[in-house]
Amino acid sequence: MQNEELKFQSPTFFQRLKGMLGVDFYRLFHTPMFYIFLAIAAIIPAMVLGMTSMETAEGAVPMYTNTWQMIAANIPLYAVRDISEYANMNMVFIFGGIMVSIFIGHDYKSGYVKQLFTTHAKKEDYMMSKSLVGAFSMACMCVTYLLGTIIAGLFVRASFEVNVGSLILAVLGKMVMSLGWASLYTFLNIIFRKYFGISIASSFFFGTGILIVGAGAIVGNSPILNVFLYGSSVYACLSCGIDALLTCIVVSLAWAVIYNLVGSMVLYKSDVY
Amino acid sequence: MYAIEINGLSKSFRGMYAVNDLSLKVPVGAIYGFIGENGSGKSTTEKLICGHLVADKGEIKLFGRDYTDPGVRVKVGALIENAGCFPGSSVYTNLMMQAINLNLENAHEEIMRVLKIVRMEDNVHLKFKKCSLGMKQRIGIAMALMGSPKLLILDEPINGLDADGMRIMREILVEVVTTQNCTVFISSHILGELEKIATHYGIIRRGKLVQEISAKEMESRARVFVSLKVKDTEGAKKVLKERFAVVKEEEEYLRVYDEENVESIVECLLKNGHAVSEISKNKIGLEEYYIELMSEKERE
Repeated sequence: MQNEELKFQSPTFFQRLKGMLGVDFYRLFHTPMFYIFLAIAAIIPAMVLGMTSMETAEGAVPMYTNTWQMIAANIPLYAVRDISEYANMNMVFIFGGIMVSIFIGHDYKSGYVKQLFTTHAKKEDYMMSKSLVGAFSMACMCVTYLLGTIIAGLFVRASFEVNVGSLILAVLGKMVMSLGWASLYTFLNIIFRKYFGISIASSFFFGTGILIVGAGAIVGNSPILNVFLYGSSVYACLSCGIDALLTCIVVSLAWAVIYNLVGSMVLYKSDVY
Repeated sequence: MYAIEINGLSKSFRGMYAVNDLSLKVPVGAIYGFIGENGSGKSTTEKLICGHLVADKGEIKLFGRDYTDPGVRVKVGALIENAGCFPGSSVYTNLMMQAINLNLENAHEEIMRVLKIVRMEDNVHLKFKKCSLGMKQRIGIAMALMGSPKLLILDEPINGLDADGMRIMREILVEVVTTQNCTVFISSHILGELEKIATHYGIIRRGKLVQEISAKEMESRARVFVSLKVKDTEGAKKVLKERFAVVKEEEEYLRVYDEENVESIVECLLKNGHAVSEISKNKIGLEEYYIELMSEKERE
């Protein structure tokens, strides 16, 4: 059996991650859920743009006059003042949160997580893989959201006037923030892994930005609060520059590292299920 | 070197020990039957070996390495409680996921190989949720067999199976051990089935290992008895008790333990006017051995 022992070669970190990511992407592309969420991300902005209106003295007027309002606010908003300022591409982070919850929830519900943890000793592989797949899904949703918004804008004949550079940076900023959000959701779902309903509720709660709204209402608008509670997503606005994108990259990576580390620690210290 | 070596393993849930200072050794290439009553800690031990639970204390080594070592982990296959498959996905898709997870190069060939072993090659595209219980258990074994593991951990794999299902499962396990040089750690309540394949046994009670014994040792230790049927069971029992040390009544049969000389028993009965209608020489099986051992422990 000495010869047999020599065959036990430890897979490298990248080999392990490749396997775990391979499974998750295979699952993602082979499940209707991913495509449903892509469609939702495209349909919702179109519905919001085409169907929302405000009552004024002159009667009902469209809430959105410029198509790109559906992508981001004009200026960085640390706290939401009205719904039209909030209902933009940040909504993808709510859809993404629910998707990540269902994705991880199915791992536990089906018992597949047992197969993963039997063959993969490292819990951080699981955290990283789910975060990256969640980020990819949300980035894809950002693209379908953008397409849905453009098509709806053409239909309702809303204005397309915008600073193109800032628009691109804003979209990229939000796509980059997907990694931070996905890591947060993965972490939340690991914490509440035994309670599927609470996992979804917590993802929705964080994704809607209720924390930043609540904190903003109590302590007022604050860039620091925004970074801590809302991942700087609102820096990515229609008047942003390259510094906003860099902020999003830094914050997203910081969130990813922190939540992956803490999530892995939780998995190491507690029972898998 | 042992396939599994556990030293002083403990795991508690809310202050109650499910596994308490457990130590055991599973030789390489063995089919190790892990036996115990409900709640004795069998599944908890298996989950601890698989890394699903975090031990309070103790050490687990697989093939001489720490059980968390990914190098040894990729050579472990498990079926704990259920197959761990996505119900909406096909048998093939579920196995493909495991193949990707294990970074297997010839995924399709490997899937077909394990499906052939578990006699499921004709149900490749069947959705997992449409499979019967027996099929699901076999798919669970197939999942565990992906990548030719050197250690299989199986938690009650024959539970709920019909006689044919049990036979198939038994054949699969024997085939895996002989062709893949695999060690099997299997827990089961169906001791009669386990007895047919196990080479070693570990008996657990209230989280502690009561006995570890090889099948050969058990065979040599097993008490022999002569089972016989007479018309007047009570009268015959009285006669036999005068001459033989241990005589017990088992349903409509009488058992004379530790006596191999059938002729002397028949002669004794005939002398006292008891005609024997049936007689056979036996050894106590795993089930009786287990029951006796448990009763002994209960009395202690």
